[in-house]
Amino acid sequence: MALVSIRDLTVSLPPGADRALAVEDVALEIGRKEIVCIVGESGSGKSVTAHAVLGLLPRGVRAERGSILFDGTDLLKETQDAMRRRRGCDIAMIFQDPMAALNPVMAIGRQISEQIRTHRTISEHEALEQAKGLLEEMGLRDVAGLLKAYPHQLSGGQRQRVMIAMALSLSPRLLIADEPTTALDVTTQAQILKLIKRLQEAREMSVLLITHDFGVVADMADRVAVMRHGRVLESGAANEVLSNPAHSYTRALIAAVPRGEGRLAPPSDMRPLVQVTGLTKRFRRGGLFSRSQATVAVDGISLTLSRGETLGVVGESGSGKSTLARCVIRLLDPEAGTITLDGADIAHMRESALRPLRRRIQMVFQDPFSSLNPRQTVGDILIAGPRAFGEDTKKARSQAADMLRLVGLNPQTIDRLPHEFSGGQRQRIGLARALMLKPEVLIADEPVSALDVTVQAQVLKLLDDVRRQMNLAMLFITHDMRVAAQICHRVMVMRHGKVVEEGPTHDIFNTPSSDYTKALLAAIPGHGLL
Amino acid sequence: MGFVRRFLARPTTVVGLGVFLLIVAIALGAPLIFARGPFSIVGMPLLPPGAPGLLAGSDVLGRDMAVGLAYGARISLLVGITSTFGAVGIGVLFGAIAGYYGGVIDDLLMRVTEFFQIIPSFVLLMVLVAFLQPSLTSTVIGIALISWPQVARVVRGEFLSLRSREFVQAARVLGMRDMAIIFTQILPNALPPIVVVSSMMVGTAILTESALSFLGLGDPNLLSWGSMIGGSRSAMWVAWWTTVLPGLAVMITVLALNFIGDGLNDALNRRRRR
Repeated sequence: MALVSIRDLTVSLPPGADRALAVEDVALEIGRKEIVCIVGESGSGKSVTAHAVLGLLPRGVRAERGSILFDGTDLLKETQDAMRRRRGCDIAMIFQDPMAALNPVMAIGRQISEQIRTHRTISEHEALEQAKGLLEEMGLRDVAGLLKAYPHQLSGGQRQRVMIAMALSLSPRLLIADEPTTALDVTTQAQILKLIKRLQEAREMSVLLITHDFGVVADMADRVAVMRHGRVLESGAANEVLSNPAHSYTRALIAAVPRGEGRLAPPSDMRPLVQVTGLTKRFRRGGLFSRSQATVAVDGISLTLSRGETLGVVGESGSGKSTLARCVIRLLDPEAGTITLDGADIAHMRESALRPLRRRIQMVFQDPFSSLNPRQTVGDILIAGPRAFGEDTKKARSQAADMLRLVGLNPQTIDRLPHEFSGGQRQRIGLARALMLKPEVLIADEPVSALDVTVQAQVLKLLDDVRRQMNLAMLFITHDMRVAAQICHRVMVMRHGKVVEEGPTHDIFNTPSSDYTKALLAAIPGHGLL
Repeated sequence: MGFVRRFLARPTTVVGLGVFLLIVAIALGAPLIFARGPFSIVGMPLLPPGAPGLLAGSDVLGRDMAVGLAYGARISLLVGITSTFGAVGIGVLFGAIAGYYGGVIDDLLMRVTEFFQIIPSFVLLMVLVAFLQPSLTSTVIGIALISWPQVARVVRGEFLSLRSREFVQAARVLGMRDMAIIFTQILPNALPPIVVVSSMMVGTAILTESALSFLGLGDPNLLSWGSMIGGSRSAMWVAWWTTVLPGLAVMITVLALNFIGDGLNDALNRRRRR
């Protein structure tokens, strides 16, 4: 018999939500010693399902029908108190953002020992010994020091390992992991996934893994359920679903996973439009009364970019890729080096001299929510650029309508506010804003990393179409090698502010020369399986 | 309208708004209802409320308390609202520039702000008003000068967090000028806390004006709630209404403004949770 069997689970949302039911008639089995993945995009109901198993549905969200049998007992019929005893003991959970899940003012050792002592009557000392053993099992080094450390002193990967250690401290039979690696770098993600798999085998537990990434499914899952709009569309053995998806949506999801082919033909005109040499940017911390410390974010970077060409800058967090982008567009002032745009050095130009050149180099931002002014209509957002260059409002508005059409939005939506649009549509508005000034260079800073995978594919295609139509030179910043492979002619890999490797996309993917690039490629989830 | 419904969600806000509008109506209508003015003597001094023709009794000089309260509302509201406008004007300018530019400019402007914050503000106010000669104008200027640092702090905080938002960076990339970014991009997003702080500040200004007038530093040609209390304090033990009624008027007005402020806070700050 399966460890968990969910039958006809229907969960209602409070009145006024965008739909009545969060999930409807969900059926799912989690066998013993099995990893089951729930895959879906945002709003699919995958997290609600997981939280229902834990009995942790948000206020106003209620399970209406169905049952969740855990080893024969229906969890939906358990009392609050019985569920509290089960959490941590029988069923444990790890979250997407370990920083938010850890107590920032309590040392790691105490957090773990407190968790153990909530459920077991043992001494503080014994609990700490157990905590030490657990952290060692997670593959962490310098455990004695870690026990005394606070969450902010740890790296993202270390924090997630601590979270897993806490979750496993009472040897639960089911571990629920809600997007446990989404906030992590790709190499760290690979390590954490490997760790979860190893622990699952060693401890013979079941894992319910929630993800949006079919690559992760390919690496991890024994069985998989695909969810959309609160329903399970398809479920079955992972290799079967992957190789022979029955539902068209599953096929679309799998097809939307970027493959890393890198077959874009290089542009015909290879005269450099942007040339960066020896660009350096340091950040100083501390002020008037404390000694300042400097970190070198960008360390002597050089690059060239031609019309019609996309150069991908790939790196993990802290590699300096975003700082590089912000220096090139002069949102930050570089310390040393030159940035020539069509012959003019803009690296150290004064803002007043730079302003006329600004229209030639534009940017698309990462966050679809904070990149649009929430109090301005789409029309006002789009005409801000032309208005700053003294263009007539009426003319700018008609251009804005055309631009909305170009990016695939209905021009009738011109008087709406940003919150009425979805994440993908907002990124289209952000792109339209950048294109309003008819730029020659477009800098895209992680433009698709906050989007669902099917939306991601659409926006990438739009970027590439626009690049072709307007003969743009594009500097494309991303942490995702697969995304870079889809859209870039050349790729530059960055680490610790320096260039590790640079070359045509195809070469970087097939014959990488540096160990770091090889490690990045090997860490791609679903590597080789998809 | 989601905003109106959220604003009126608390019963206290509805009460506060009702009371405030009533006070405004009394203040505006005072010269029409009581054409003879607050200083005219109408009968024996210290008549209790309810004496013939005297709804709120008479004061130490035999003036009608009800007329005094109605005219006092004019002064209180005028001082409260104009000095708040002044304080918000200075505070927004200082806070916006300090928060947007940061660095040395921020340090400099914040030191000036702190200079005003570390001096006991009421003492500063008394010195200012005495120096400028007690008058309505000097009261308003004085109160504005001691209240603006609070606004500047709030605005600076909002600007510090908003300036790093991507839409502000996008505006810079589009070639917009700093002043245009500050006033068209950031300020509209910083308005909710400014509105909330200002509504509370009107109440504080009314209290401060009363305290000044009580001490005899108000405009000698105008009757305000504070000067009514101050002028009657010798009669406090024999005629309670001469001090309690203007005191209640101050309290009710300030309470109403605080209720409105709470309601605005709920209504305006909800959508900012994102």
